[in-house]
Amino acid sequence: MRHTRRVPAVLAAMLLSLGLAAPLAAQEQPRMGGVFKAAMIGEPPTLDLHTTTAVLVQHITWHVYETLYTYDKNYNAIPDKGRTYTFKLRRGVKFHNGKEMTSADVVASLNRWSRLATPGKQLWKNVEAVEAKDPYTVVMYLKDTSGALLMGLARPNNGAVIYPKEIVDAAGDNQVKEVIGTGPYRFVEHKPDRHVKLVRFKDYAARSDAADGFGGKRTAYLDEILFIPVPDVAVRLAGIETGEYHYSQQLQQDQYDRIKTLPGVVPIIVKPSNWSTAVLNHKQGLMTDKRLRQAFQAALDMEPIMAAGFGNKAFYRLDPGLSFPEQPQWYSKVGGELYDQKNPARAKKLLQEAGYTGTPLRWITTKEYQWMFKNALVAKQQLEAVGFKVDLQVVDWATLVQRRNKPELWDAFSTGITFNPEPAFATGVACNWPGWWCHEDKEQWMAAMAREADHKKRKAMWDKVQQIFYEDVGRIKFGDSFSLEAIRKDVHGFQAKNELPLWNVWLK
Amino acid sequence: MKTYVARRLLALLPVALVVATVAFVLMHLAPGDPASVIAGPDASADDVQRIERQLGLDAPLPVQLVRWYGRLVRGDLGQSIFLRKPVTEAILDRVEPTLLLTVFALTISVAIGVPAGVISARYHNSATDQAFMMAALVGVSIPNFLLGLLLILCFSVWLGWFPVAGYSPLEYGYLKTLRSLVMPAFALGLVQSALIARVARSSMLDILREQFITAGRAKGLGERAVVYKHALKNAMIPTVTIIGISFALLISGAVVVEQVFNIPGLGRLIISAVLRRDYPVIQGVVLCIAGIYMLINLATDLSYLLFDPRVRYQ
Repeated sequence: MRHTRRVPAVLAAMLLSLGLAAPLAAQEQPRMGGVFKAAMIGEPPTLDLHTTTAVLVQHITWHVYETLYTYDKNYNAIPDKGRTYTFKLRRGVKFHNGKEMTSADVVASLNRWSRLATPGKQLWKNVEAVEAKDPYTVVMYLKDTSGALLMGLARPNNGAVIYPKEIVDAAGDNQVKEVIGTGPYRFVEHKPDRHVKLVRFKDYAARSDAADGFGGKRTAYLDEILFIPVPDVAVRLAGIETGEYHYSQQLQQDQYDRIKTLPGVVPIIVKPSNWSTAVLNHKQGLMTDKRLRQAFQAALDMEPIMAAGFGNKAFYRLDPGLSFPEQPQWYSKVGGELYDQKNPARAKKLLQEAGYTGTPLRWITTKEYQWMFKNALVAKQQLEAVGFKVDLQVVDWATLVQRRNKPELWDAFSTGITFNPEPAFATGVACNWPGWWCHEDKEQWMAAMAREADHKKRKAMWDKVQQIFYEDVGRIKFGDSFSLEAIRKDVHGFQAKNELPLWNVWLK
Repeated sequence: MKTYVARRLLALLPVALVVATVAFVLMHLAPGDPASVIAGPDASADDVQRIERQLGLDAPLPVQLVRWYGRLVRGDLGQSIFLRKPVTEAILDRVEPTLLLTVFALTISVAIGVPAGVISARYHNSATDQAFMMAALVGVSIPNFLLGLLLILCFSVWLGWFPVAGYSPLEYGYLKTLRSLVMPAFALGLVQSALIARVARSSMLDILREQFITAGRAKGLGERAVVYKHALKNAMIPTVTIIGISFALLISGAVVVEQVFNIPGLGRLIISAVLRRDYPVIQGVVLCIAGIYMLINLATDLSYLLFDPRVRYQ
């Protein structure tokens, strides 16, 4: 069902560093079997992917659910120039309950996704209708051309996954009651704080073309996957060391040198992972004054900020790009002269011009992600050195994500912008997201980019957005960061990706 | 005696009401809400509000409080937001590991604490006494999460005797369960055994100075009979009190230890509930733990009857 390539394939390449994946997938014959234990950072808040942008939910559920499209190894899907898209579904694709997937399921799922999912809502502004032409054909009519449609449908996070129609109908806008998809692994049980258990789906209808990125042939080599919530990072590390887990996510970067020396353990650097940022409040309060935002931007020296947050140099990089250097088709240094200015004199001058009288800048951060707190702490010192008064409010993550929706409560908050292959969905510049950075020109470029199908033109538009990001100080980017994970040596076919694809992975 | 127990049980009701109200109000006054957690980091404010409406969290606080009382009266603790099942069921699911862990830890703390205290008292001011009390001092000073991590490092990572973390339920076999609980129970119990040892020692010392002990010795009773039959029984009242308190402390200590050892018990339940603001679960677990505390106190008071015939309850 994935990659129903009716639409002509185009596309520029971006070589995502497969460096790590390749040597691990040695030239050996893959073996079926085994229980794969993955130590995850916590509990998934839901298993209904339509309703959440939480990465952990994507990590688990995308082995169960599938989208119509997915990304190849270069994070490309396939755009088209027209306004009508015809999707031919593969025949014989079965759901885990035995039912064959047809266009009715696809239409029901896409409609629900367009109502509930953040990227779905955004994409559907441009969708006129979706209809089932016959059991194996779905047609989508757009109001205008779209360069982002297929990238949107391919998106794993909060993705347009296909559920059986009955389940969609039963749930409506509430959480789905059953976890049934068409993926290579079938959901068995969720025992909270113990595990989410998936087993191989025997009737999985795999594609025949070779695996490429997340697409092509998906094989469930493992008998079983257990996603185990292990909130304590020291325990995730100890567990990979003793072989209790095959995979541990989000380890502390300062442990890298030690992990390299552990027998039986392979450290994995996931690159790129995200860029850490302070989101500024453009709706209300201090930061609505552009000069104050510019002073904030001018005052900072990013090296100590990132060093405090990520410790080891292998895990951070100073770079102005809104897309990562690993995405050459989108990456740019435009506006970079305003990044990492280390110019306290200019900051002081701007503060003076703005007539800043010492109103505290309320910055919400959290220790749940240590790097957010440490970034903020060092930045606070630098800001205070130029004359800002900073009120750093340290709260737990749940409090942060709630407070950030209330513009009257804050001037800045800490967060990370995760890797995103399609700029049209970039949270980093979104207007309808906390911070409410709605800039007339930027919105126009973003809208134009969503419609445009020609990649060159789209890239030029994205550059414009980045230029405005720095000139208007949309947000403060500190730098790129990479995450540290680890697998056991007997794990083969592992891809070092943010999305954690575990099909085609096998145990020796 | 029966009326006494009945009275004590009746007294649970007003306390439960206060606990229920405080738990409700505190949690709802605290910032953060479950809807933002479900929606995830990239969701917009509209999505969060939509989920809030679905969960019924958009109603005014007093209305929600009255609904909560209404359900409580019917013995219904509500429905968990994240676990998608009744809170009562969620709690029952989690009682097994926590109960076994605390009982195991209590056994360890009593088995180590009481003899250590008694021996220290009997050989007062000797090298043994000082060694025990020194160990006890170290014991009360180590936080249990640190002890837990040290145990993991030593017995799992270096020696490989026990699993790093995780819990094997009883249905998979008693021995496996026992094995998965050894380290957490020690992490939890050792700290309490130090406390119990110190109390047992000091109450033994007090009793050993009593006149009836001198009388016992004067009438020619052997030292064993004096210490273990007469003194120990009398020293048990303060010791049992501290064991009761320990049991209650162990339940709260389990919150931390379960987190370190990844045990899906009541502690994990409440921690994840707090982090995600699963209000019904937090309120339910707090209420349940308050109930357990009160029952332990009652049991402690009743156990005095066994040790001291002078105690009477009417």
